[in-house]
Amino acid sequence: MVDASKLQQQQRKPSADTFLPLSRVRTIMKSSMDTGLITNEVLFLMTKCTELFVQHLAREAYTATCGETLKYEHLSQLVNKSKNLEFLLQIVPEKIRVHEFQEMLRLNRASGSDEDDDDDESGSESESEAE
Amino acid sequence: MVERIEDLNLPNAVIARLIKEAIPDGSNVSKEARAAIAKAASVFAIFVTSSSTALAHKQNHRTITAKDILQTLNELDFESFVPSLTQDLEVYRKMVKDKKESKANKKDTSTGDAAASSSSAAAATENGEAE
Repeated sequence: MVDASKLQQQQRKPSADTFLPLSRVRTIMKSSMDTGLITNEVLFLMTKCTELFVQHLAREAYTATCGETLKYEHLSQLVNKSKNLEFLLQIVPEKIRVHEFQEMLRLNRASGSDEDDDDDESGSESESEAE
Repeated sequence: MVERIEDLNLPNAVIARLIKEAIPDGSNVSKEARAAIAKAASVFAIFVTSSSTALAHKQNHRTITAKDILQTLNELDFESFVPSLTQDLEVYRKMVKDKKESKANKKDTSTGDAAASSSSAAAATENGEAE
């Protein structure tokens, strides 16, 4: 399936047009940069790159759907198994049911482990704000 | 710099279009999946930007270049993006160069005699009448 996606990318005609708005991408880039200067060329490349990423994500996740609707679960599964998508683990986490979570907590306590996984949510939230 | 957190979101309609392009015709994408992809794309842009910045700083450069981004993509295991991005960049650079040249030409003709410039008029229409 990697070959197929590569093929599709190569078939795509190179072009100097972007779909995503450059100004928005600039804002996003500035939110993470300590130096303020972003050349137009870099901005263009980043925008293109983000577009490719969106399509890559959609295409790869879709291969798991067997032709049905692309759902959140397909994405979180993909993120979970792809090494290069590790940075998204907190952004696209696997959903778990409340009773599964309670079961996990119960098991944790039963095994006497004192590592706290319960503030996972607040942790990821403060992290995304910090970025 | 970023006043509202929504400023970091990419436009939904464009994301939807990019996803649609990547998957087979007639397939559906759930709202939740689309939102997750959009969020992932913003985070991807931030991730690549900060990694590229780190790379540039390591080489004692203050601002990131296109080369830094491409190298970062290789390091982050997105090397499949690099060939098509390189092509896009070539097209973009050519476009910028052409624009510069046509601008220079225009300047020459506008300072010259306007009445005797039948050839420059043709050039101006070719340039798409930017003015």
